[in-house]
Amino acid sequence: MGKTNSFFRYLAYAVEIILLFVLETTPNLLPEIFNAKPCFLLALAISISVYEREIPSMIFGLVCGLLLDYSYCGTVGTFTFALTIICFILGYCANNIFSANFWGVILCSFVVISLVLFLQFVFSYLLPIGTNAWLFFRNNYISRIILTFIFAPLFYFLNKFIYSRLSSAGN
Amino acid sequence: MKEFLKSNSVKVLVCIIFVLIMVFVFTHNVQNNFLSSSLSSLTYGLSKVTAVSTDNEAQKPYSELQRENENLKKENADLRAKLVDYYSAKEENARLWKFYNLKKENPEYTLVPAMVLRRDANDDFSSFTLDKGSSSSVKVNDPVVTENGVIGRVSEVDNNTCKVVTILSPQTSIGCIDKKSKDTGIVSGNANYSNDNLTTFAKLSSDNKVKEGDIITTTGISGLYPKDLIIGEVEEICYDNFDTSFYAVVRPYDDIKTITCVAVITEFTGQGEILKSGD
Repeated sequence: MGKTNSFFRYLAYAVEIILLFVLETTPNLLPEIFNAKPCFLLALAISISVYEREIPSMIFGLVCGLLLDYSYCGTVGTFTFALTIICFILGYCANNIFSANFWGVILCSFVVISLVLFLQFVFSYLLPIGTNAWLFFRNNYISRIILTFIFAPLFYFLNKFIYSRLSSAGN
Repeated sequence: MKEFLKSNSVKVLVCIIFVLIMVFVFTHNVQNNFLSSSLSSLTYGLSKVTAVSTDNEAQKPYSELQRENENLKKENADLRAKLVDYYSAKEENARLWKFYNLKKENPEYTLVPAMVLRRDANDDFSSFTLDKGSSSSVKVNDPVVTENGVIGRVSEVDNNTCKVVTILSPQTSIGCIDKKSKDTGIVSGNANYSNDNLTTFAKLSSDNKVKEGDIITTTGISGLYPKDLIIGEVEEICYDNFDTSFYAVVRPYDDIKTITCVAVITEFTGQGEILKSGD
């Protein structure tokens, strides 16, 4: 029963990932606000990690990172590496160091979103282009960080609901 | 912590990071790498469906498309009109530059650039009316030229326009010289040749040495035309049975029937000297 619940939970995460990937990459669907669109998959990966153990967290982080990198540059990049490692660490910490309460997850989301998007900025713009990169950061990345962060509570409650429905009965 | 670092989870993480690094190394800066191809194949169908469903152009109602089409047609017409203006301005600019060169080569000329206003449909010798008249200092008998040579002379003037008789007309008589053989004669239009944009270099002596390809220019003796203005190039030498003299058929360098922009030489050195002495 527990394995079945885990399977459906992972399936629900997979559906979430696919839907958000489609939502994020479909042209003309989401409007740009202050030159940016939110990174749904980034916020989703964090919200999954705080409920799952290290390995599943890492795998979902890896998948989300791959999809984000695929839509940005077509290959493995900053998102894949960063989300794989960070989701692994988050999965470990949420199970061993702190519990997944709302404010803890919100704080954690803000730090991780800022860190990952900053790393992406560094490796995609600051190092290869250099000139006017900070202007680009100010005009595009700050709004992207804020927009992504706005969706973090939504995914937190959604995955909390999925986790409570598909784990407690089995465990 | 030490236990955690030695745990299987960390070993899995390290392995995955290692694999990712390998993938990164082998796919970085490689077009159509296996990773992007695989992800592209996996997501192509879904992306295609969502892209089509959010295609704004396809979702526009018929009335809006019709309105947009009308606006685009209007815009297109405006742009076409602007393009015609642009070509006209460009053409005029190019012509004025040529007159500028003519003026630079002959500083003693006073040139008045003019446009052909209308052509007399009943005149077989391609006479035309210019948009410059006595208010622009144009006088009767002023030579009319282009950058390629003489076109004709002014025959009538009013305040704002003037009529030009071309070198295709028999009314024209210009004292000319073959620059190569030094034979002299009179350039005058001929009804047999005017339709083909040709004129004649007549009254040649029986021992003339005029040949095909020779360039005919004005002598400037009459005082009506400046010296050394080009008339055209000899195409053939003929004999006039009635006049018992030779003449050369000359092709002007401009197509006089279609010319649109010319210049009137209102003043030049030696203008009207013979006429004055004749009075």
